[in-house]
Amino acid sequence: MKTGIKIALSLALLSSLSFGGEQFAMSDSDRAMYAEMLENNPADIMVANGEQLLGNLGGEAAFAKYLGVSEDKLPEYIAGFPRYIEKFKMVVGIDQVLQAMMHDAGEKPFKLKSSDMFDMLAYTKSLANGVKSNIDIDANQHMKDAYALGQKTFDTKRGGRGLSCLSCHAPAVIGSVLRTQPLPDLSSKGVAVAATWPAYRMTKSSLRTLQRRFQGCMKNALLKVIPIGSPEMVALEVYLTKQAEGTEIAIPGLKR
Amino acid sequence: MQRREFFKKLGSAAAITAVIPMMSFAADAKKQAGPNEFSYEKALDVITGGKGAKASPKVSLKAPAIAENGAVVPITVEVESPMTESDYVKAIHIFATKNSNSRSASVHLTPANGKAIFAARIKLGSTQDVIALAEMSDGTFLTATQSVKVTIGGCG
Amino acid sequence: MERKSLIKIKPKKYKNGDVVKINFMVMHPMETGLRKDKKTGKIVPAQYINNVKFEYNGKVITTINVWESLSANPVFTIYMKIDGPGELKVTFTENTGEVNETSTKIKPKG
Repeated sequence: MKTGIKIALSLALLSSLSFGGEQFAMSDSDRAMYAEMLENNPADIMVANGEQLLGNLGGEAAFAKYLGVSEDKLPEYIAGFPRYIEKFKMVVGIDQVLQAMMHDAGEKPFKLKSSDMFDMLAYTKSLANGVKSNIDIDANQHMKDAYALGQKTFDTKRGGRGLSCLSCHAPAVIGSVLRTQPLPDLSSKGVAVAATWPAYRMTKSSLRTLQRRFQGCMKNALLKVIPIGSPEMVALEVYLTKQAEGTEIAIPGLKR
Repeated sequence: MQRREFFKKLGSAAAITAVIPMMSFAADAKKQAGPNEFSYEKALDVITGGKGAKASPKVSLKAPAIAENGAVVPITVEVESPMTESDYVKAIHIFATKNSNSRSASVHLTPANGKAIFAARIKLGSTQDVIALAEMSDGTFLTATQSVKVTIGGCG
Repeated sequence: MERKSLIKIKPKKYKNGDVVKINFMVMHPMETGLRKDKKTGKIVPAQYINNVKFEYNGKVITTINVWESLSANPVFTIYMKIDGPGELKVTFTENTGEVNETSTKIKPKG
């Protein structure tokens, strides 16, 4: 009986939501208030930790040298990740390059899914702050393949509910309200996700990366979670980074 | 687009059941007594020594009307004051009226601050009023109130 | 335990007499004592910063009494009038009695 009432109540709420999505959405002035928080983003501490960790490996000079790029070209180069790197014979994210660099320096690499790696990745990507995201998916066949795999991963329906990333992030449903939150436009016309991750997640009180966010999304939509750094995950990052092409990189971002 | 159409587009009744447990949970949620339970009325009484406070346009409290996430609600309080030795803001108190402990922060200022501004992020357990109470050097107490609606949900 | 913290001054360049913005942030879970651990089902004990003190060249300019309802990884923003070179020290205390401090140099130009 009690459950019956609960369901009735929920349905009543639900139907009110269907007409009143607006009342749950934040106003522009509310958004501006949150944007002000970017100035003193709690993730600044995590990024500072990342700077120290990269410093232990020789800092950005060592990172540039490891990639065979001159230091003044490094920001532009970072803004083009994920990239195909000949040395690894695969398309990789910044975090994987950092892992390899740690390994070659004789250190035990941080796990891809660890807060130290998230911090270091955030700092490294922040070196490209202000530079426009410039991923080149036509650079070679590997990048073309990665883009295609990324799109496939994005579009493929999986899991118990038969959902794909596209189910909630297709142009036709952008802006509709799901669980009281408007569904975001992930492209450069909207939030340009790839340019603003790693970011501070307010609901998690921690710094998260784009691939870690994909995992959270998959888990909630009941899709089997794909490991960080796997070809599909990197491909997904390639696909979404392409959508954010031309957007200025601003790390760390700030997310709900 | 309306929500109903959206669910049709998803073509999934499962998505609706995803919302129901959350709503039921919200209806079930009981107010818990925290280790520092302290009401706003009690705090106001203690701070003002029973004198009470009056709302004033000199105090500006900025907080979002709708917070997408009750765990991080940005607030900024600014009190109009020259901040000189003879006329300054002694303290700014922040209250979340419906939290079990309504007290969030009490900021004790000095003329050396130059400006009576304080900003922080607070946690709100539910939709409620946030109140800023300014304690002036002449012994008066001024307040500003802002209602913040806390929404729950979202993905992840 | 040692907490990571950071003091940021805005604007970065300032001179004597300027009133600048001070952002102090610290990595801290700000446990309320109301939250249950998802795995064990046990209440996570309250652990939060309960006092933050700002000292400029040895003079206390602001103290903040803090309770558990401040967000995790809190950021405190206050203002300060620049009055000569020296040091800004922030001391923060937790409800458990633990004390940490951090400081930054104040270098006014002109």
